[in-house]
Amino acid sequence: MVWANAVLQGVLLGGLYALLACGLALMFGVMRIINLAHGDIAILGAYLIWVAVDHTSMSPFLAALLVLPIMLGLGYLLQIVLLERSLRAGPLVPLLTTFGLAIAIQNILLQVFSPDVQSLGGSAGDITTVSWQINDQVSIPGLGILILAIAVTVLGGLHLFLSHTRLGREMRATAQDPDTAQLVGINARDVYARATAIAVATAALAGLFLAIRSVFDPSSGPTQLIFAFEAVVIGGFSLWGTLLGGIVLGVAQAIGAQIDPNYSLLAGHLVFLAVLASPRGGLLVSRRVQA
Amino acid sequence: MAFQNEDDPRESPTYADIADAMENRELSRRDALKVAGAGTLAVAGAGLLDLPGVVHAGPQFARTGTIKIGFVSPRKGPAAGFGEPDGFVLGLARKAFQRGLTIGGTHYAVEIIDKDSQSVGPRSAQVANDLISGSRVDLLLTTSTPETVNPVSDAAEASGVPCISTVVPWESWYFGRQANPAKPKPFKYTYHFCFGVAQFADAYTHLWPQVRTNKKVGVMWPNDADGNAIRAALGPTLKKAGYTIVDPGAYADGTNDYSAQIAKFKSENCQIFNTFPIPPDFATFWRQAAQQGYKPKIAQIAKTGLFPSQVISLGSIGANLASAVYWAPSWPYTSSLTGIHSRDLGPRYERATGKEWNQQIGASLALFDVAAAVLRASGAPKNKRKVANAMKKLQVHTAIGHLIWGKGPLPPNVVATPIIGGQWRKVPGSKYTLDFVICEHSSDRNVPVRSRLTPYS
Repeated sequence: MVWANAVLQGVLLGGLYALLACGLALMFGVMRIINLAHGDIAILGAYLIWVAVDHTSMSPFLAALLVLPIMLGLGYLLQIVLLERSLRAGPLVPLLTTFGLAIAIQNILLQVFSPDVQSLGGSAGDITTVSWQINDQVSIPGLGILILAIAVTVLGGLHLFLSHTRLGREMRATAQDPDTAQLVGINARDVYARATAIAVATAALAGLFLAIRSVFDPSSGPTQLIFAFEAVVIGGFSLWGTLLGGIVLGVAQAIGAQIDPNYSLLAGHLVFLAVLASPRGGLLVSRRVQA
Repeated sequence: MAFQNEDDPRESPTYADIADAMENRELSRRDALKVAGAGTLAVAGAGLLDLPGVVHAGPQFARTGTIKIGFVSPRKGPAAGFGEPDGFVLGLARKAFQRGLTIGGTHYAVEIIDKDSQSVGPRSAQVANDLISGSRVDLLLTTSTPETVNPVSDAAEASGVPCISTVVPWESWYFGRQANPAKPKPFKYTYHFCFGVAQFADAYTHLWPQVRTNKKVGVMWPNDADGNAIRAALGPTLKKAGYTIVDPGAYADGTNDYSAQIAKFKSENCQIFNTFPIPPDFATFWRQAAQQGYKPKIAQIAKTGLFPSQVISLGSIGANLASAVYWAPSWPYTSSLTGIHSRDLGPRYERATGKEWNQQIGASLALFDVAAAVLRASGAPKNKRKVANAMKKLQVHTAIGHLIWGKGPLPPNVVATPIIGGQWRKVPGSKYTLDFVICEHSSDRNVPVRSRLTPYS
């Protein structure tokens, strides 16, 4: 039963990884940008939510609804102002741009919010500690279920958006071949900016749950980013694959910890390396988003 | 990493040139003006107030120089919380040194150059070397976590610059820096004051009996420098004191799932819990433990829970966590450099910053107390060997206590300072969300005990 609990907790942890990873997968899929600032954008979102909660003592979930449109706007601007120009200069420059952006965000957060750790766990209420005790060893935490449900909703929503809406079709077309897409009248600039806006908003959502689950400070961004990258790679750069990748990573970590706590992160990294080393790994590099 | 370099703006080449010229007793234009001005003033004063003595006290023939003190602490990165009171403490120290120091008939201006280690070892070594070879400091001070302190101490030892450090358990500082920890050799230039595992063991074995438990301790000691030192040293000490240690094994910092450990603690019924994690890992663990129904009677945390924000941010599950402090405003001691008593130091910080006091204030200020004392005791503050030798027998009053080098535990380099156990508690009528309430004083009986430990759950 201990093992069953480990797998269960791993699946739920996978939901968090998938939520953090889906923005990365989207940006890579549409624009081939590896966004090294994704973790810091998530923490920026967490801080904005925290500010709203701190000033009005509203629920963090309500505050997130207010912050999401702001993050959509910030994402749109980020693409227009910064990433678009760097995209013109070749594939390496956007990588360096997002690296610089990550450092800038960390230092601005440090200036504005001081290095004190913050958390949204306290203000989120009972949801953070409530759980269903199945028996002595197995319990299903409410927060884990909520995160997984949100991850599935976001990924499912994105999937429907990409496959059934006009904007989604434009996004897929631009991802395939931006020049041809422009020939048939698609505004690639606008499509790119929308994709970044969505990615930044999902990062903020992930930031909300990172902040509820644990504590955060201005330097927290990069620590979770590695897991998000691994989830994207294990999942093969597709949206549903990201959910699967997150869950595989989470379960690997939980089972590794059950064998020996020291193997938790190692087990996750090994699964990631195994995927890269497999014959499929070579194909991943050339694939684009196939939602 | 291309971070900006926050050089002290006053540390421009011209300033260094002037300082050098003054050191070499070359009468620069600025010196000449200063002396002439002072002389005129003295003569004028003597004339007006008829005080003949003033003429003799005129600085015409006084020798002058500048002492440079380098200060390295983490201001950014994961350990930035420790550097948070730096601005306040440096302000106090700079004010106290404003008039300079007169040592052996020579008047010295004192300049403090502060640098940020960004919580990482390589950067810490880099700023230490900048201070040593670039700014040519006479004395280095450094504080908070092995990542910052140990590289600075190593650089100082290698270049023969005296260095005083604190807030790294002294075992990690002393043995962690040895070429061969099994055969430790004393250091020549680096000196340290801090609590160690022995003080933690004292605090825990006096704190835990205050609540009835089955004496079974579930431990989460990570696989990092602190965690492994604690596992090697604290584990056996606690066993000797009659506690059963349930250790699921070391885990990597940054782990996101702790169900394996929680299951183990539940099945073994560990009524005491102890951990030395980085703050986010504890927050993740503690929330997961609450979800899965693990509620020990005593939750003793170290390394996290040092600062109010780390505990308050946990919300309802933060109250009644037990921790330990190396300074609090109730410490009955006075900083010898600034003359500020601990009971005033906390409120002054709160007025200046609008934040609740934290224990790092006393420790950081103590570094400057020690610096002033050793520079005076050396008789020749620009002579690095004499300053280092003066450390060996130094006695100094600081906000965290009376420090005496040469008595152990590892003479001449280390002074073991107290760490005192207590609990973060909701106190009715307090202006703080949570108060740190001191519950034992085994390592310093002068610190008043306020209450007894109450069970976590």
